Amino acid sequence: MTAASPLLAIRGLRAAYGKIEALKGVDVDINAGEIVALIGANGAGKSTLMMTIFGKPRARAGQILYEGKDITAVPTHEIAHLRIAQSPEGRRIFPRMSVAENLQMGADVTESTPAERESTLERVFALFPRLKERFTQRGGTLSGGEQQMLAIGRALMSRPRLLLLDEPSLGLAPLIARQIFDAIRTLNRQDGLTVLIVEQNANHALKLAHRGYVMVNGLITLAGSGAELLQRPEIRAAYLEGGRH
Amino acid sequence: MTAPSTQTTKTASGIPALLKTAFINAVIALVLFSLMVGIRTEAGSEGQLTYWTRFGELASLVAAVFGGSIVIELLRQWIGPAGTEKLVPPALQKGMSLVGRYLAPALLIFTLLVPVIFYNQRYILDLAILVLTYVMLGWGLNVVVGLAGLLDLGYVAFYAVGAYSYALLATNFGWSFWICLPLAGILAAFWGVLLGFPVLRLRGDYLAIVTLAFGEIIRLVLINWQSLTGGPNGVSGIPRPTLFGIPLNNSDDGLAAKLGIEFSPTHRIVFLFYLILALALLTNWVTIRLRGLPIGRAWEALREDEVACRALGINTTTTKLTAFATGAMFGGFAGAFFATRQGFISPESFTFQESALVLAIVVLGGMGSQLGVALAALTMIGGFELFRGLETYRMLVFGWAMVLIMIWRPRGLVGHRAPTVYLKKAQAISSDLVKEGHG
Repeated sequence: MTAASPLLAIRGLRAAYGKIEALKGVDVDINAGEIVALIGANGAGKSTLMMTIFGKPRARAGQILYEGKDITAVPTHEIAHLRIAQSPEGRRIFPRMSVAENLQMGADVTESTPAERESTLERVFALFPRLKERFTQRGGTLSGGEQQMLAIGRALMSRPRLLLLDEPSLGLAPLIARQIFDAIRTLNRQDGLTVLIVEQNANHALKLAHRGYVMVNGLITLAGSGAELLQRPEIRAAYLEGGRH
Repeated sequence: MTAPSTQTTKTASGIPALLKTAFINAVIALVLFSLMVGIRTEAGSEGQLTYWTRFGELASLVAAVFGGSIVIELLRQWIGPAGTEKLVPPALQKGMSLVGRYLAPALLIFTLLVPVIFYNQRYILDLAILVLTYVMLGWGLNVVVGLAGLLDLGYVAFYAVGAYSYALLATNFGWSFWICLPLAGILAAFWGVLLGFPVLRLRGDYLAIVTLAFGEIIRLVLINWQSLTGGPNGVSGIPRPTLFGIPLNNSDDGLAAKLGIEFSPTHRIVFLFYLILALALLTNWVTIRLRGLPIGRAWEALREDEVACRALGINTTTTKLTAFATGAMFGGFAGAFFATRQGFISPESFTFQESALVLAIVVLGGMGSQLGVALAALTMIGGFELFRGLETYRMLVFGWAMVLIMIWRPRGLVGHRAPTVYLKKAQAISSDLVKEGHG
């Protein structure tokens, strides 16, 4: 991974909620075709980083470069049009709308032809066959794992280049979490999708990722390949021992 | 699916248990009522205590309690224990879905025929116009509350803006109804956007308070801006609508004279009826079409989850403003119709009670359901008239009816939400068969 210019480059990013500074100068590179994991404890600022990429909250300082262009000041709703998709924390599917409508909501962003939409839908169904079974059901009637699949599927419907996943394994049974991680790996290998994954489940995330970053109190404290980070004693002590699945 | 087993255990000890409960209740009633009803005491003419017995009344009361507790117990068994699903026989289910499918067209055909059937009953025609006005207001507010999920307690403001727009434009400039109608809609939509801007960041309770205040502000402005609105005296002499320039009166240019038929004041009522019906159907058609478009889906998504909407690239600002503007526009149309029908408007017609009534129609109908809103308007406005004979108790009975409906159908009369995206080979799964869960 020695690409000259990364797909997404974050430089000295600072963000705050009121007076509380959540990001204190973060540098992260995501190269095209990579899976990058961001791990850290609760309140480390992982989700804030993901939200700041989408401009909510706005960065106080620093830069976010996507495909070499500065997107730090781009309005939130236009970022999705740049083929960056997000599966937010807590899934946040639309409970009273059907699975079909949830997926259509993801597709509404892009100006894709019906044929393109059809093929993307087939791809989502291939990854998550459960969604096809549940197609006409309301989103709120799905199980937690199915809702997570729907949230990722909805993000995929916009045909993104970069997928941001916030805690996809949150509250899921280990078996279901593994299915989700497998799907992410497949997407990356077969479709060349670039993924930034925020996880508390450090073991899974680092095994999946090419590279990883460790975040503590709004700062990146460690970076390295996934395998490398898994071997680091401080990582094992802080995030893996006792929390291993 | 535990219902059948509990049912059998209950019916096994059914009749003796039933009689036992009823008997115990009757004994309690006997003890209570024997002193309260069975013996009547009064101070005699010299201050001494006199009493007499009323065993007949006592017996009938105890019998009523006995019979009543059997009925209640039977009802309870029929409804089933709280929390379990009732198994509706398939035949009944089929019949209900058949009713559901044909209810809307049947209602529409009936509505179209109302002026024919009730031609000579002015009272019913007037009531029908009133119901249709509220159907239209309900459908308009449904866009804001039912689809976009923005709780608006000041909807009457847009109704007022529409009514005053037409009234003032028509009385001051002599413009015809058909020119003023779109203008009233545009002006109301403009005010909708004006309201929308400051409340973009608000949701739920906070939004409700601000919209409530907005409705009051509009009303107070109407009262106090005497030079323009005539203040509390309102605007009178508002022109009646014409059929493309042909007035519906008894003059030589009137429609009756032109058609060579005898003039009747009912012509105008029938015309107004079809006018509001057309406006209401327009509202319905536009809403249904919008629901199938990205903007309509975005409204519904906004109701469900604003954060997810932003993540999906929906511009929540424009989405909210279009919802406010669309809802307000229909309110404006309805207002213009109200003005031309009444011929006189004053701020008194645009109180908070109207907002509350329209909101109640939307909630009672089932948020987002077009058919539900129409049924709720019919129930609320028609039902209110139906209870007119009860005089003082009218509000009480009406309130009770509303509470009961909300207990039986907590999601409104039509809680079912029709999806807008289908797979080519759609397989129908009724939403009633699956329970909502957040897990």
